[in-house]
This record gives sequence, structure tokens and C-alpha cells, in this order.
Amino acid sequence: MRGSIIWYTQRYSALLLLCYVIYISNFIFFKDNITYFTWSNFFLSFQARLFTSLIFLTLVLHAFIGLWTVGTDYLIDRTLGFLSFALSRHANLIRNIYFFIFTLFGIVYLTFILYIIWT
Amino acid sequence: MFENKLEVSLYRYNPEEDKFPYMKKYSIDKPSKDIMVLDLLNLLKEDDQSISYRRSCREGVCGSDGMNINGKNGLACITPLSSVLKKNKIELRPLPGLPVIRDLVVDMSEFYAQYEKIKPFLQNETTAPEQERLQSPEDRDKLDGLYECILCACCSTSCPSFWWNPDKFVGPAALLQAYRFLADSRDLKTSQRLEDLSDPFSVYRCHGIMNCVNVCPKGLNPNKAIGEIKSMLHKNKKDIIASDIN
Ligand code: SF4
Ligand code: SF4
Ligand code: FES
Repeated sequence: MRGSIIWYTQRYSALLLLCYVIYISNFIFFKDNITYFTWSNFFLSFQARLFTSLIFLTLVLHAFIGLWTVGTDYLIDRTLGFLSFALSRHANLIRNIYFFIFTLFGIVYLTFILYIIWT
Repeated sequence: MFENKLEVSLYRYNPEEDKFPYMKKYSIDKPSKDIMVLDLLNLLKEDDQSISYRRSCREGVCGSDGMNINGKNGLACITPLSSVLKKNKIELRPLPGLPVIRDLVVDMSEFYAQYEKIKPFLQNETTAPEQERLQSPEDRDKLDGLYECILCACCSTSCPSFWWNPDKFVGPAALLQAYRFLADSRDLKTSQRLEDLSDPFSVYRCHGIMNCVNVCPKGLNPNKAIGEIKSMLHKNKKDIIASDIN
């Protein structure tokens, strides 16, 4: 894996998230009188669904990179050694459990979101 | 009466005798004139010969007396006492993040290993000219702010990214030197050098925290060099290879 790919992914995904915030705020602030109907109609359009799906995929990707960075900085033998030797010895295991948990969480989260959006 | 005393808190650790490092307090008469932190250590050592620290040039050239002075890394020999004293107190610790050999002496192997990794020498396999490889004054100017580094390690040991991954992240000092050779018009291994830095750790672990810039006793800016390396890594590869051929 190239560092630049991760670097670009993190930055472009952040930009895309910003676009989405603008997209949604635009609807909220410039549509007077938002009701359940206007809101659900908005999310029923193919365009909004596609954009929202894409955004949540991006969000999970963005979070993944951030959490991976945190894990490889703070859940390693050296860093855990500040807390205790025992933790430090099991650093790899601890880090892999952490990776596993947030990957699983990301997949479940994404599945739920896509399910809600498309059904 | 107290104003005339300096309270020095010194990191002490002798692995042959101490189970853990500890801070030892020294009280010393305040010198009549402003002296450097290194002079203060020398004064302390006159009374307590067991205090260990590295020094050589005593004028900010050799880079051997980098240490943590009241929480900030710097060279003891060019840091005036007046600039760091807080309420007549001073705390001296070894450079953070590296294994301590004894007192203020740290094991710099990891730091040098990163320096070695960036191949800190000119690589040019074309036949050498009779006298020397020439450079235009403009090309030579590009090396200013890079070649002056004395490898004191003040920057790398103040960088959290280097603390956590000193084996994978090259660190500000060695990255500054990496850029020194990337920017050198006489070096023809630019694309290979960039390739060696392209993984997610070597350069990209720099998060722009800027501690390195804040502490460099030579006033250099490793963060800027790291930015330049990143933009070179993002450039079209063909342009880089073309610059090597020319
Ligand atoms: S700018 Fe980069 S290299 Fe400098 S201290 Fe921060 S993370 Fe380290
Ligand atoms: S860049 Fe500055 S702080 Fe870092 S090693 Fe070189 S001289 Fe020391
Ligand atoms: S003793 Fe040489 S830099 Fe301080």
C-alpha cells in the first residue's frame, strides 16, 4: 500500500463529507416548512439515496484510516509499555482485536445504513 | 537569601545501581553572570562526578548535548540559563523517547538507523569530472536550510510520531536530510529515493504537529522539507525520472 493513496483518500473523503453537509444544510435551510413528507420525499429520490450511500461508504473509509492510524500509534508494544509490561507483551493481539472490532462495527453500520436507505 | 540559590532537578539513572530512574535535586549558588546550561552541568559535575552527559564542542556545532531543558529539547551549550529558568528552577532530562543509557546519555541507535536508511550521500554513477561536479548558484541555494543540520536529534525526539514508531517513521531529522539529497541537482537517484519513502509510515506518519520546527537549535524547518517530499511523491513520476536524466 502506498502512503499517498491513504493520504489522498483521507483528504478527498473529507471534502466529499463537506459537500454532503452542504447538500443537506441546503435542503434544511432553504426549504421552508419541512415536514415528514418533504423530508422523506427528499430521501426517496434516487439522487439523494445514491449520494447518501456513497457518503456513508466514504465515512466508514475515512474513519477506518483514522482508527488504523490511532491503533498503529497507540496500541503497539512501545506505547502500551508506558502502562504496563503485560499489556506491552500482548500489543499485537490487542491491536488486532481493536482492528477486528472496528472493522466489524463498520461493516454492520454500513449494512444497516444501506438497508435503511434502499428498502 | 533564596534568590541566590538555583534549584536543579536532574534526571538520574544508573542501570547498574538503580532499579528505576529518579529526579535528584541539587541546590547551587546562582552564578553571578548568565551562563549556559552546559556550564551549569559542569558546575554540578565538579561536586558530583557521577553525573553523566555528552558534550564536545560546547558551541552548538557537534550536536552531542541535546537534552530536555525545562520541558523543551535544546542544546545545553547554547541555551542561556536566563532563557529557561523558571522561578530559579531548572529541570534537566534526557531526550525523550530514546532508551536511556545513563543519566542524560541516550542510545541514539534508532535515530541513526533512520539516518542510514535515507542514504545520506550523493548518488551519481556518471563518470566523475576531473575536478568536481558543478552546480548552478540557484541549484546550490536549494540546499540552504537543509545541509546545516547537526543531527542533534532534538527534533526527532520531540516528535510524537517518532516516539511511537521510531523503527518505521523516518523522523524529522532524517527526512530533512532525505530532502537535502532529493533537492540536490547532482544526485541522480531521486526516483529511487522517493520510492523508498512511499510507504504509509516513512513520511506519511508526519501529522504536521510542528514540534520539530519549534525546537531545532539551528532554526531549521523539517516540517517544510517533509511537505516538499510529500509534493514530490504526489508529482508525476515521469517528471521526476526526467529530472534525474537531465
Ligand atoms: S511536523 Fe511531523 S516530523 Fe515534525 S514533529 Fe510534527 S509529526 Fe513530527
Ligand atoms: S533538524 Fe535541527 S533539531 Fe533536527 S537534528 Fe537537525 S539540527 Fe537537530
Ligand atoms: S557540545 Fe557540541 S553542540 Fe553542544
